[in-house]
Amino acid sequence: MIEVKNLVRTFKSGDRTIKPVNDVSFELEQGTLASIVGKSGSGKSTLLSLLGALDKPTSGDVVVNGVSLASMPDGKLTEYRRRDIGFVFQQFNLIPNLSAVDNVMLPMEFAGVRKAARLARAKDLLEQVQLDPEKHVRRINRLSGGEQQRVAIARALANEPKLILADEPTGNLDEQTGDHIIELLSSLSRDHNTTILVVTHDRALANKTDRRFRLQQGRLSEEPARTRVGAAAPA
Amino acid sequence: MSVLARSVGNAFRNKVRTGAVVAVLAVAIGLALSMLVANQAVAAKVTELNASVGTVLTVNPAGGQGFEGGGEPLTAEQAATAAAVPNVTGVVGTKALRLRNATEAAAQSAAGTQGAGTQAAGPGGGQGGPGGQTTTTLTTSLTAAVDAGTLGNRNQAGEGTTGSTGTTQPARTMSLPITATGTGAEVDSTGRALEITEGSGLGDYTAESTNALLGTTLAEKNGLKVGSTFTINDQTYTVAGLFDAGTSFGNNALYVTLPSAQTLAELPGELSTMIVTVNSMENVDAAKTALQDALGTGKADVTQGQRNLETAVSSLGSVKNISFIAFVAALGTAGLIILLIMVMLVRERRREIGVLKAIGAPNRTIGLQFVLEALVLVALGSVVGAAVASFASGGIASALISSNSTTAAATTTGRGMPGGAAGFPGGGAGLPSGGPFGGASQLLTTVTASASPGVIAAGIAAVFGVAIIGALVPALLTARIRPIEVLRGE
Ligand SMILES: Nc1ncnc2c1ncn2[C@@H]1O[C@H](COP(=O)(O)OP(=O)(O)OP(=O)(O)O)[C@@H](O)[C@H]1O
Ligand SMILES: [Mg+2]
Repeated sequence: MIEVKNLVRTFKSGDRTIKPVNDVSFELEQGTLASIVGKSGSGKSTLLSLLGALDKPTSGDVVVNGVSLASMPDGKLTEYRRRDIGFVFQQFNLIPNLSAVDNVMLPMEFAGVRKAARLARAKDLLEQVQLDPEKHVRRINRLSGGEQQRVAIARALANEPKLILADEPTGNLDEQTGDHIIELLSSLSRDHNTTILVVTHDRALANKTDRRFRLQQGRLSEEPARTRVGAAAPA
Repeated sequence: MSVLARSVGNAFRNKVRTGAVVAVLAVAIGLALSMLVANQAVAAKVTELNASVGTVLTVNPAGGQGFEGGGEPLTAEQAATAAAVPNVTGVVGTKALRLRNATEAAAQSAAGTQGAGTQAAGPGGGQGGPGGQTTTTLTTSLTAAVDAGTLGNRNQAGEGTTGSTGTTQPARTMSLPITATGTGAEVDSTGRALEITEGSGLGDYTAESTNALLGTTLAEKNGLKVGSTFTINDQTYTVAGLFDAGTSFGNNALYVTLPSAQTLAELPGELSTMIVTVNSMENVDAAKTALQDALGTGKADVTQGQRNLETAVSSLGSVKNISFIAFVAALGTAGLIILLIMVMLVRERRREIGVLKAIGAPNRTIGLQFVLEALVLVALGSVVGAAVASFASGGIASALISSNSTTAAATTTGRGMPGGAAGFPGGGAGLPSGGPFGGASQLLTTVTASASPGVIAAGIAAVFGVAIIGALVPALLTARIRPIEVLRGE
């Protein structure tokens, strides 16, 4: 359960202040698959970074399972990012001189998972995102954009987080692979009760989610609910 | 993939830069280690010099340093007076005797060239005792182990002067006299403990005894071993032990107890010299003045045998200081190189550090990763640097010493020694002892700067210590990088 309360983030650029996140409030039940759409520059990545404790809001708060992020010290925020959050960055942000497997193992290393266990899990996750096994040990800077994107998704799933924040996770993927990723995220929310918030420009993807938000100049609005694809047909 | 493995990997991310950094570090570390090795070698030498001769004063009868000799002999009361002077820790009286081979003496006497029983010449051993001092000459069954040489022959011929040219005496080959010293303790004339190589010492040096200590070459020349006997003035002596003074002249000598020598000379209570030991190097000057005052300028001359050595020691001391400063400076440079490189790397990898934080890496893990990366660079630099040091340290040490000791060496030769070479009957082969009067320059060149593993290890430990400090600053800087950095473009 995640509650977002009157979240505001402003930036100063010159003498102007811009508000990419302007008084945003919403709640997500655990296990929800939600999407945010919006024009470029509307503040989607900024909102996601506030939810993922990468950045601090100018005002407002995010409450995760009853715990307020605003009141957490930095050390706890690091732990929150490590244990509870899986973040898929718009620009992937993988470590370029490490292999795909090593990148996926990193969050598990920080969480203190034993080496054999994290290697096995990293390989399993890379298979789930359909990365060719021979590319598992290839260095990141020798993988294609789409391949890197899938490694980034695998890394976000590494510590079995309760909340996955994915910034355009299918932007670099062909339709078929993209569909597979959506199916993967969908099954996580269904079977593992993982809350998933996806930022996307892809209308088709958005239509497959439980809840759809739209961000316009920092303001969030929700679109009417639709039947989720893959869920049981209405009677 | 562990933190360490990642650090090693990161250290080699840019191989050209790593190579350059390691090379620069190697120079700094190599220099630091060389300086440390030089410093240790010189420090060891200084300690050795200070311990051996740094604190010894020699007291001779007043006027005893000229050619003719004169004044009053030293007495046991004066020894007591000297012992009462502040900072004096020990007074050893000696009585020098000059031994001639009985057969040779008889032959020379027959030829009519031998003067009186006493002769204006000093003993030819040890520290170069007083030239011109009255020394009793006795006969012995021993044959000297050293040939007289040109000067020696001239002196033996009875002229008693050195440096006079145009001597018309026919060249005659004869052996040198042997120096017999009655000593009040088991020390040589420089106050240094006798190095007994075989047998034992004489036990109580303040009691009469018919035991003697022989120099190794003298014993060898005469076919004597521990337990053998020989005579001085028809008195039979037993070889109790053999000593090694380190030089052939020094070993052409023997020691008996002080009372024995006084009895042989028929001068009980009389001393030729007193070796006065002062408690520390700093007090030597004050003690010298006090001693001179206590004994009276008209009665005794107090000389500081190690004057020139002091110059050598202080010269070595400055080499020690210079090398230490250079060590610290090179160490600091290595630390600074690490600091700058790591600051550069942290700035360069800002975004990556942000990523690590964004996926939950604790600050200490990231800091540790950077410190380890710095240590990988330092380890490589140390390996190359230690190799450089092991080749360069000898050269660096001797370069340091030779450039620094030029003045010291010049002073040494200029100053000369009390009594001068003139007083030595056996001047043929130069100075009798390689010890305190061997010349400071000679001492300085004996500083061996070998890169001992212990010193190198200590140096490398210091390098790592400095590197950790140098790397800690940038590592702490990583803590201030915020995870939001990942959203910024490169
Ligand atoms: N650190 C910052 N300083 C100043 N302005 C910023 C900063 N970060 C973001 N912005 C501005 O905030 C606005 C929202 O940025 P954001 O990255 O959230 O957009 P977005 O919705 O993710 O766009 P896109 O779809 O292109 O990724 C932009 O106008 C951007 O220029
Ligand atoms: Mg964005």
